[in-house]
Amino acid sequence: MSSPRSLIATNVNLKIGQQQILSDVCLNLGAGKVMGVLGPNGAGKTSLLKMLSGQLASQHSVSWNNKALTDYDPMSLAKQIAVVNQLNESVFALDLYEIVRMGLLPHKSLLSRQTRDDDKSIGDAISRVGLDDKVKQTFNSLSGGEQQRGLIARALVQKAALIVLDEPVNHLDIYYQHQVLRLLRSLAHKLNITVVMSLHDLNLAANYCDHLCLLDKGKMVAQGSPEQVLTSQRLQQVFKIPCQVSLNGSNAAFRVDFYPPDEVEIDVAPFIENPKT
Amino acid sequence: MNKKWMFLGLLVIASPIGALFFGAADLSGAELIQCITQGCQDPVNNMIFWEIRAPRVFVGFLVGAGLAVAGATLQNITRNGLADPYLFGVVSGAGLGASIATLLFDSKLAEQLGLIQMFPDLSFSLALPFAAFLGALFSVFLVQILASKTFGSKTEHMLLAGIAVSFMLSALSHFILFLGEPFAANKVIFWLMGSLARVEIWYAWVMLPVVTISVAILLLYGRHMDALLLGDENAKTLGVQVTRLRILSLAICAALTACIVSYCGGIGFVGLMIPHIVRSWLGVTSRIVVIGCVLLGGCFMVWVDVLARVALPDQEIPIGIITSAIGSVFFLLVMSQRRN
Repeated sequence: MSSPRSLIATNVNLKIGQQQILSDVCLNLGAGKVMGVLGPNGAGKTSLLKMLSGQLASQHSVSWNNKALTDYDPMSLAKQIAVVNQLNESVFALDLYEIVRMGLLPHKSLLSRQTRDDDKSIGDAISRVGLDDKVKQTFNSLSGGEQQRGLIARALVQKAALIVLDEPVNHLDIYYQHQVLRLLRSLAHKLNITVVMSLHDLNLAANYCDHLCLLDKGKMVAQGSPEQVLTSQRLQQVFKIPCQVSLNGSNAAFRVDFYPPDEVEIDVAPFIENPKT
Repeated sequence: MNKKWMFLGLLVIASPIGALFFGAADLSGAELIQCITQGCQDPVNNMIFWEIRAPRVFVGFLVGAGLAVAGATLQNITRNGLADPYLFGVVSGAGLGASIATLLFDSKLAEQLGLIQMFPDLSFSLALPFAAFLGALFSVFLVQILASKTFGSKTEHMLLAGIAVSFMLSALSHFILFLGEPFAANKVIFWLMGSLARVEIWYAWVMLPVVTISVAILLLYGRHMDALLLGDENAKTLGVQVTRLRILSLAICAALTACIVSYCGGIGFVGLMIPHIVRSWLGVTSRIVVIGCVLLGGCFMVWVDVLARVALPDQEIPIGIITSAIGSVFFLLVMSQRRN
């Protein structure tokens, strides 16, 4: 028996058609931790997140709170796990408040009304992500970072103990990348929420996650603290590019540098239009 | 917000009352007020008021409300502002069901086969919306199957499948009407353009429970419908059982469309236009859209019917001609507004 509110995956496998997407992935993550799922394109990061959040059936191989995800009914699962997928536009002009309010859904029966406490929890969540002045703005008109924070506010209203995010800093500029990740880390550490997210930027992952999983071709290559997972040799092996991992002394920040592979002469002639003769 | 709802409330009170003043018979304002408050003294006026005008206004309101709500629901579940009972083949499916019922129980062919004598008028009239409902359900599920199996499950594929099914079922139902009665032009025109001219009060007693129950269910599931607006995956992560909700919503659209089409024919553009206006005027969340559609759709149809009655002297314009004309101009305006 593991501690409550821990996320456990035991030999997670996923096969679509003839293709093995995930092979025997195992992990154990405690409450209040931030986990980053890393790996090159096609490594199986999104599929693993979908298995860990119950979006893909896991046949009892994933459990949360000592209960297999498949044993939760959809509403109970939504009370436990909030998912922030890659940004989706709303077809109709929903405003930020209406998006955040959706987080109430798993806690409300068909007949129950929105109470003052609900209003307060929506207001608190929007304040926590720093979007008080955007409440009535349409969701589609918000910047990528604001939309992402809006969806995180919705996860807070959902009162989920586990938040799963698929590439939350994709398409965000460097300012918003740090802002969103700082917010997630503070939610995890202050509110004891477990955060699982996929990331492409290894430097951000190293500096904002407590636990990392490195996937390659559907298999878990390594997992543990950033120091344990991010070694030059391993990263070079997985990403096929020479790299160097160092620790910046002044603020103890991790730094991963990739170096382009040896120059290969690419013949560009076929792409150039024939000059007029 | 409150002012808009107050205005809509006043419109809902004023429209049916105002519409009672219009019609072929010359009833003075005083006589009408007397009919409403104390009952009509003149038996002819009494008949005109209670058997023609009042039922027509009441049924007109229900038709507008039902079509607008069906359109809004289809738009929400497909996440497509262009979805409408017409484009999705629901109207054609209901028309096909009703045509088959007509062929079997109310046509020259049925007369020759002796089927008419077997069924009294009232039971046929009640069987009609049921047959239309089955037809509408058939078309809805045909569109779903075609869209998912043949084309893929994207919304635009669903629209394409809907248009294909709509044409196919319309052709079939017109052929069936022709089979039943070779000079079936009037019936075809009825199905194509719709009319409230033959409305009777008991139509309302069939439509009222269908519209009321449908609206109540849609209001109960308002939060679930809102979650669908950001996509199926989003809704699933919030605990919504998407497939179940979609089937329920499609069945509601089929029921609403069927009970309207079977008595009043095909009336286009209401399900497309009214939700559009409600969303830009009142808000986009499902509960607001449904309530707005009931109120505004009802008022709209009441006034369109008045126009149908008074636009030409001594004859009535089929109501679908007016809704289509208004709808097409409306959409040209929306398009030009978007471009600007």
